[in-house]
Amino acid sequence: MLSAEEWGIVALSLKVGGVAVLATLPLAFGLAWLLARKRFPGRVLIDGLVHLPLVVPPVVTGWLLLIAFGPFGPVGRWLETAFGVSLMFRWTGAALAAAIMALPLMVRAMRLSIEGIDRRLEGAARTLGASAWHSFWTISLPLALPGILAALVLGFARSIGEFGATITFVSNIPGETRTLPLAIYSALQVPDGEAMVTRLALLSVALSLAALVASEWLVRRGHRGQDRHVL
Amino acid sequence: MVRLILALFALLLTPAATAAERGPLVMAAASLQESLTEAADAWAAKGHPKPVISFAASSALARQLLAGAPADLFLSADEPWMDAVAKAGLLRANSRTTLLGNRLVLIAPVGSTVKLTPARGFPLARALGSGRLALADPDAVPAGKYAKAALTALGVWNGVAARVAPAENVRAAMALVERGAAPFGIVYATDARASRSVRVVGTFPASSHPPIRYPVALLKASRHKDAAGFRAFLLSKQGRAIFARHGFSAP
Amino acid sequence: MSFDVDLERRLGDRRIGARFTAGAGLTALFGPSGAGKTSILNMVAGLLKPDRGHIRIGDRTLFGDGVDVPPEARRIGYVFQDGRLFPHRRVRANLLYGHHLADPGDRWMALDEAVEFLGIGHLLDRWPHSLSGGEAQRVAIGRALLRAPQCLLMDEPLSSLDAARREDIMTVIERIRDTLKLPILYVSHDRAEVDRLATEVIALGG
Repeated sequence: MLSAEEWGIVALSLKVGGVAVLATLPLAFGLAWLLARKRFPGRVLIDGLVHLPLVVPPVVTGWLLLIAFGPFGPVGRWLETAFGVSLMFRWTGAALAAAIMALPLMVRAMRLSIEGIDRRLEGAARTLGASAWHSFWTISLPLALPGILAALVLGFARSIGEFGATITFVSNIPGETRTLPLAIYSALQVPDGEAMVTRLALLSVALSLAALVASEWLVRRGHRGQDRHVL
Repeated sequence: MVRLILALFALLLTPAATAAERGPLVMAAASLQESLTEAADAWAAKGHPKPVISFAASSALARQLLAGAPADLFLSADEPWMDAVAKAGLLRANSRTTLLGNRLVLIAPVGSTVKLTPARGFPLARALGSGRLALADPDAVPAGKYAKAALTALGVWNGVAARVAPAENVRAAMALVERGAAPFGIVYATDARASRSVRVVGTFPASSHPPIRYPVALLKASRHKDAAGFRAFLLSKQGRAIFARHGFSAP
Repeated sequence: MSFDVDLERRLGDRRIGARFTAGAGLTALFGPSGAGKTSILNMVAGLLKPDRGHIRIGDRTLFGDGVDVPPEARRIGYVFQDGRLFPHRRVRANLLYGHHLADPGDRWMALDEAVEFLGIGHLLDRWPHSLSGGEAQRVAIGRALLRAPQCLLMDEPLSSLDAARREDIMTVIERIRDTLKLPILYVSHDRAEVDRLATEVIALGG
């Protein structure tokens, strides 16, 4: 049904999306925990910064990434000299763009999940002899897990759909940064690309739908578990 | 309250009123940005409504026209895309003619001091190193197609094909070089002239690629009374002089 | 084994305080709702920090004089009003949660003993959400006992149960008081409960 080139595009999208979400997971969880549980000066600022990619036009986010991580940007130059790593025109750059765009969604979903943890259960664990850390691992984390997984899936869906920031930051390089949305866009530029556009667009919709359904199911499953805590 | 609503309505209608004074809609290749804008200004200075110009890659413009975009003139950067639109029966009979010519150049960021001459077997791959060669999309956009043809004719395409950074149009390709994201790019001589942030490293031999020709034509569906007049102006001595000043050659 | 408690804490616009000493047996903290009885238990357990005061159990200072022992090190068992069983673990795992964390040398009760004592052997493989109120409360008590505590805190453990279940659990509590001889700090607003179970009653103002 799909040509070899098209499968390559799908594979690249899955790779970029997967890496973006997995690499962002610790940061997203950390931020979600911080914002859900702690009060500290500058909290509102952090909250705002986390949500910025959600409201700023993706092209602007891509441009800011270019300024910071591009070959002449402060972080880009440091990566080049310290690790010999360049994100320009590379799938790693695409993954970074996708990660930044997915971060706010993931933090929001995880934060909701963390806020839903019954802290009295954590208290009960403490009285039973668990340290704060042990209580986190054995009580808090397992109870938050469905929500965390839902956040992952949601972030993944956002990542594979990312366009504006990607094309602005790392351009449209076949095999490296030409993910599903960019490939569809390219095919649209050429008058006889209709068939390919249709195939890829259907695939894109199917992937996003599957991710949304999975995310919803996970959240519901998590809620069912929570309802039983009252006993 | 009623007066406020009426006033808002009037505000909404004014664009419609001024639309009647709008100039013809021209779809033009990206490389014509400065020159065609100047020509449109000159035309407007003669008392005509100023033409509205949409600059993009010729492939993208052709696609829009084939999908039914209501334009008055089409200025393509190569013959094949004009052919495609002609084949769909969208051009007005006898309105197609060749307007301009151009040359292909190899560019680098303005601070670069590299010496490289486009000739048979020249060491472009080696000069690129780990960097990429910025081109307009070589599969569809004219500037990219010419570049690929030239590199193929010179026998170096295979060595650099995997190191290409395809851009949406020739100006986007140039922007990559301007930013230093790509160490080299291939654009039209006129593009390089229009930018202060790139320097021309060498010019491709005219024999290495099909002659670069910019055809112009009226669309059959064009209704604007000024469309034919603007086309004639572009072909006139004054029009040609404007393009020549920007580095375009006669076809 | 005695309690020596002197606490004060501001919660919102209320001031909650208590000062008492208590010996073995079941000591009831009796008072109307809103007197802060649960907060006092939480402070004894280490879940809430007093503004000032001290908490001593036996010869250990849990709070005061610059000391603030974390809840996990206080060796106190706490039976909550709503049970608070872990919903993601079965009954057996709930019972053993604190048991595994306790020092082997401190453990004075094994799973089998607790199961027999409370009559919950048939519940071991069940999920908390499938238990009735009375069953859940027994498991909660078992979980607290298996944690090898030196004393027990109970926060109105009978309030959400019907009459028959209350009788069951009261019997269990009496056995903890008399057979296991575990000192209990028991919070309630029900006079009848307190009259039946308490060795000593400490009245708290409203």
